[in-house]
Amino acid sequence: MAHDRLWWRVAWRNLWRNRLRTLITASGLAFGYLGAVLMVGVSDGMLVELIENGTRLMLGEVQVHSEDYLPERNMHRTIGGYEGTDLEIFLNQINSQEDVTAAAPRAYGGGLLSSGEETQAALLMGIDPDREPHVTTLLSRVVHGRPLVTGANEILLGSEMVEQLGTALGDEIVVVAPSSDGSMGNDLFTLVGTFDTGIPAIDQNYGLLALSDLQFLMAMDPARIHEVAITVGNAQDSPRIAETLREFLSDTELPVQVSSWTDLRPELAEMVSLMNAFHFIVVIIIFGMAAFGVANTMLIGTFERRREFAVVRALGTAPIGIGQTVVYEGIVLGMISLVAGSLITWPILVWLHNSPIDLTQVSSGFSVGGAQWRPVLRVEYSIESPIVAGLGLFLTSILAAVYPAWKATRVLPADALADR
Amino acid sequence: MRLMVLLKLAMRSVGRNVRRSILTSLAMVLGLALLVFSRSLAEGAYDEMIDSGVRMGSGHIAIQNPEYLASRKLEYRLEEKLVNLASEMTQDVLKESLVTWVPRLSVDGLASSTAAAVPVRIEGVDPDRERTFSNIESHLKDGRYLETGDRLHAYIGTELAQRLDVQVGSRFVLTAQTATGDVEGQLVRVAGIFQTGIPEVNQSLIHIPINTAREWLHTPGAASTLAFLLKGAELTNIGVETLQLKLENERKIRVLGWQESSPELAAAIRLDSTGNYIFHSILLAIIALAILNAVMISVLGRRREFGVLQAMGLTGVETGFVVFLEGLFLTFISGVAGISAGLLFTWGLFRDGLDFSIFMEDGMEFGGQIMEPIIIPRFSVEQILISTLVILSIGTISSLYPALRASKLDVAEAMKFEQ
Amino acid sequence: MTVRTLVTQLLNTALLLLLSSPIQAQTAREIIDRVDRLLRGESSRGQITMEITTEHWSRSLDMEIWSLGVEHSLVRVQSPAREEGTATLKAGQEVWNYLPRVDRTIKVPPSLMMGSWMGSHFTNDDLVKESRIVDDYDFEISFEGEREGVEVWEFQLTPRPEAPVVWGRIEEQVRKADLMPTWIRYYDEDGDLVRTLTFSGYKTMGGRLVPASMLVTPADKPEEQTVLTYHELDFDISVDESFFSLRNLRARR
Repeated sequence: MAHDRLWWRVAWRNLWRNRLRTLITASGLAFGYLGAVLMVGVSDGMLVELIENGTRLMLGEVQVHSEDYLPERNMHRTIGGYEGTDLEIFLNQINSQEDVTAAAPRAYGGGLLSSGEETQAALLMGIDPDREPHVTTLLSRVVHGRPLVTGANEILLGSEMVEQLGTALGDEIVVVAPSSDGSMGNDLFTLVGTFDTGIPAIDQNYGLLALSDLQFLMAMDPARIHEVAITVGNAQDSPRIAETLREFLSDTELPVQVSSWTDLRPELAEMVSLMNAFHFIVVIIIFGMAAFGVANTMLIGTFERRREFAVVRALGTAPIGIGQTVVYEGIVLGMISLVAGSLITWPILVWLHNSPIDLTQVSSGFSVGGAQWRPVLRVEYSIESPIVAGLGLFLTSILAAVYPAWKATRVLPADALADR
Repeated sequence: MRLMVLLKLAMRSVGRNVRRSILTSLAMVLGLALLVFSRSLAEGAYDEMIDSGVRMGSGHIAIQNPEYLASRKLEYRLEEKLVNLASEMTQDVLKESLVTWVPRLSVDGLASSTAAAVPVRIEGVDPDRERTFSNIESHLKDGRYLETGDRLHAYIGTELAQRLDVQVGSRFVLTAQTATGDVEGQLVRVAGIFQTGIPEVNQSLIHIPINTAREWLHTPGAASTLAFLLKGAELTNIGVETLQLKLENERKIRVLGWQESSPELAAAIRLDSTGNYIFHSILLAIIALAILNAVMISVLGRRREFGVLQAMGLTGVETGFVVFLEGLFLTFISGVAGISAGLLFTWGLFRDGLDFSIFMEDGMEFGGQIMEPIIIPRFSVEQILISTLVILSIGTISSLYPALRASKLDVAEAMKFEQ
Repeated sequence: MTVRTLVTQLLNTALLLLLSSPIQAQTAREIIDRVDRLLRGESSRGQITMEITTEHWSRSLDMEIWSLGVEHSLVRVQSPAREEGTATLKAGQEVWNYLPRVDRTIKVPPSLMMGSWMGSHFTNDDLVKESRIVDDYDFEISFEGEREGVEVWEFQLTPRPEAPVVWGRIEEQVRKADLMPTWIRYYDEDGDLVRTLTFSGYKTMGGRLVPASMLVTPADKPEEQTVLTYHELDFDISVDESFFSLRNLRARR
C-alpha cells in the first residue's frame, strides 16, 4: 500500500505543478456542475410550481369523500352517511398520518346569491376558517376585506361574482340553497371580503362561507361534511400517500374514497408528465454539454501529456503506474472541482430558492392546465440531483482521462518523444 | 508573400495535429449544433403556441365592438353594415398577408336535454371558413364537424354530451336571451363531438352554423367578432395599426391584436420565452466554457511547437498570428460543421415534429388556449445567424489567448526538453 | 308540466265538456288547439297540498295558488311554519321567489330555470313554459278504444322538426266519456320514458269536473314522486295583472 500512497503523491504533485491546467479543468467541471444543478433546480421549481398552483389554491393534494360522493357531488352523500362522523376524531386520525401536513373539512352546496336586483347561481363552499389556510391558499387570495369569522353569517365572493352582482363590501347578500331536508334554506350574509384567484371559473362561481354557517343554512348536522382536503409534504408523492391513507381509513369502517390530485385532476397530471419529459430533454442537453466540456478538456489535456508519460515510462515506470497516476489525478481533481462547484452552486441555489426572481415585470399571471401560474422563477433543490450531477461529471472526467492515458501507455516511449 | 507563408504554416499546424484539432473544434461543433437544435425547437413551440392560440381565440387580428371584450354580451355586436364594412376594409388592407378570416356570433346560454340543463357558450360559425381557421375539428371524437348547408347542427364537447346524455344525432335545445330581449329556444342536433385537453372547453363550447344563430337571435348579418388569420404573427402589429387608422371614424369598431384579445396567451408566451432565455443562457455559458477550456488546455502542450516556429525565424507577433489564424480556421470549419450538424439532426429526426401526444393526446391548456401536443421545429435564419455569430465570437476570442501566449514565448525556455 | 299547466289541463277538459260539440268528428289536433285557445284569459284560485318523496327526504307543503291565463301565476306556502309565506311569482318568462325569512324577493336566473321548484319534481321551467303545445307538436290519435273498462283516446304528440323542445314524444290518455286526462308520459328521443304524470281524484270543483290529484314520477328514480292535490278550486275570480306583481309577492296576507 505504500506503493499506492506514492502514486497518490505523484498525482497530487502533478496537479500542483500544472496549476494552470488544473485550474482550467477544474473550472470546467465546477461551472458545468453549477449549470447542470441549476437547470435541474429551475426545472423542478417549475414542476413543483405547476403542481402546487393546481393543488394549493383549492384542491389540496389528497381528498377524502364518502365513496358515493364523486362524481355527482350529491349533497346528501356526506362522509359517514346521514349520521356524519365526529369531525375532531376523523381529522385527528387523518392528521396522525406522518405524510399528512394538514387537513381541512368542507361542505358544498349549490344555490343562489342575490343582491339588489341581481341574482346569480353560485357554488357554495363551507370551510373552516382556522384549518383551511393550512391546506390551501384560497383565503390568502382575499384582496379586499378580510377572511371569514365562524358563526357571524359572513360570506366571501370572487371578484367577478361581486362585479356581476353589483355589490360591495359590507352589503347584505341573500343566500338561497336547497337544504338536506328538501326545504329552501335562505338567509342573509354579509359580504366581508372578495377574493381574486385569477381562475375565472372560481372567481365567477364560488361563494365561501364558514362551514358551520353553511351546514345550518342547509339544515345539515355539524357532523356532516362532504370533503376533507389534505396537504402532504411532497406533492409528487400524493398517489402513494393517498394509498396509505386509504388503507388506514379502511380500519375506521367509514365507506370513504381517498383520491390524490392525480385522480382528481388528470389533465394536470398529464401536464406534469409532459413537463417532466420536456425538462428531462432540457436537463439532458445541459448535462450532456457539461459532460462533453469536461471530457473534452480532460482528453485534450491528457493527450498533450503524451511526452510527459513517455519520459516517465522511459525512466522505468510501469504503464499501470501511469494509468494509476492519471486516475488518481482525476479523482483528486474531480473532488476539488466538485467541492468548488458545490461552494458556488449551493449559495446561488439556496438564494434563488428563498427569494425567487420576480418576473412580474416580464409577464403577468396566466393559467396553464387550468392552474394559475405566478410569474416567478422558482428554484427547488433536492438531494438527488446534485449528487447525480456530481457523480456523473466526476465519472465522466475520470473516464475521459483514463482513455488517453491508456493509449499513451501503449505508445512506445521513443515514438512519443519523437512526436510521432 | 510573408502572409501566405504564415497562412500555410497555420493550415499545416491544423493538419499536423488532427486529434487535437478535432477535439478542440468538437466543442464548437457540438455547441452550435445543440443551439441550432434547441432554438429551432423553441421557435417551433412559440409558433405552435401562437398559432393554436389565435386559431382557437380571435385570430391575429380581431374586430369587435369596443365593449365586447369586457362584457361578452350579445348586446355589443357588430351589425351587418359594420361587418361588411370591416371585412371588406380588412381584406383590402391586409391583402397578401391575410390567410383567412371568420365571422363569429357568440352568446351565453343554456343547453337542455331531457337529462339536464347546462350553461354553455354558443358560437355561431361559418363552417367552411371555420374549419380552415380553428383547429377544433382536429379534436373530433365522433360524428363530423359542421358543414355548409347545415342548419340545426351542433358541434359539442365530450363532457357536455355526457351531461346532456346525448349522442351524435340526438336533439337538444339551446336557450338564450335574443336581441329582442326575449328568452328563446333553438332546437339543434348533435353533428359531432370533440374532446380537447381542456375540461372547461369540453363542457361549455358549442359551435352552430352562424346563419342558424343569426336567425334564432334575430341578428341578421351580425357578428360578435371578426377574426383574421395572418401569414405570420409578426405581421400583426403593422396590420392592427393600419386598420386602426383606417377605421378611426367608426366608433363602434375596435381593432385588436392577438396580444390584446388573448392577454393570457401573450403573458404565457412572454414567461415561457423568459424560461427559454434562462435555459439558453445556461447552455451558452456551458458551451463557451467548453470551448474556452478546450482551447486553453490544448495551448499548454504546445509551447514546444511555438518554440519551433520562432526558432524557424518567425517573430513573436508572427508566431502569435499563425496561432490565431489556426484558431480562426478551426472556428470557421467548426461553425460550418456545427450548423450543418444541427440542421441535419433537427430536420432528420424531427421534421414531422416532436410528438408529445403520448402524454396528452388531446392537447393541453396553455394561457387559456389549447396547445397541440406536437412541436414542429422552425429554422429561423435570424436565430441561426445569432447562434453562429455567438459561437464564432467565442471561438475567435478563445483563439486570442493561445496567440498571445505564443507571441510572448521565451524560446529558450520553451525548447527545453520538459515543459 | 306545471302547476300552472295542471290548472290549464284541468280547465281544458272541463271546458271541452261544456262545449258538448260532436268531438268525435274532430282531429286530435283540433281538440287540443281549441282547448288551448279557449283557456287564455281564464283565472283561478286554489288550495293545494304538495307531497314530495325523494330518496333522501320527504315533506309536505300546503299552498295557495292564483293564476291568470298562461302568463301569470302566484303560489304562496302556508305550512310548514318554517316556510310559511315563501312565494313564487311567474310573470311572463320570469320567475321570482319571495323569502319571508330574509324578507327579500329574488329572480331565478336563466341558468337555474331547469332547477327544481320548491324541491319538487317540477322545474322552474315547467312553471314558465307557455302552453305552446299546439305550435310545437304534431298530434295523432294512436289508440281509440277500451282500456281497463274505460273508453279512451290516446294521443301521440310528436315534436315538429324544428320545435325547440327536448322531448322525443309525449303520450297522453284522455277518457272519452268526460274528457278527463288519465296520464301523460314524456319520452326522450330514444323512446325511453323520462317521467309520467298520472291524474286521479276526479271531482267537481268550482263548478267543473277536474282531476283533483296529480302524481309526477321520474322514470330513473321510481321510488321518488311528487303528488299535488287540490282541496279547493275556484274559477273566474276577480284578479287582474296587477295582482301578479312583485309588491304583491312580498305582501303577507
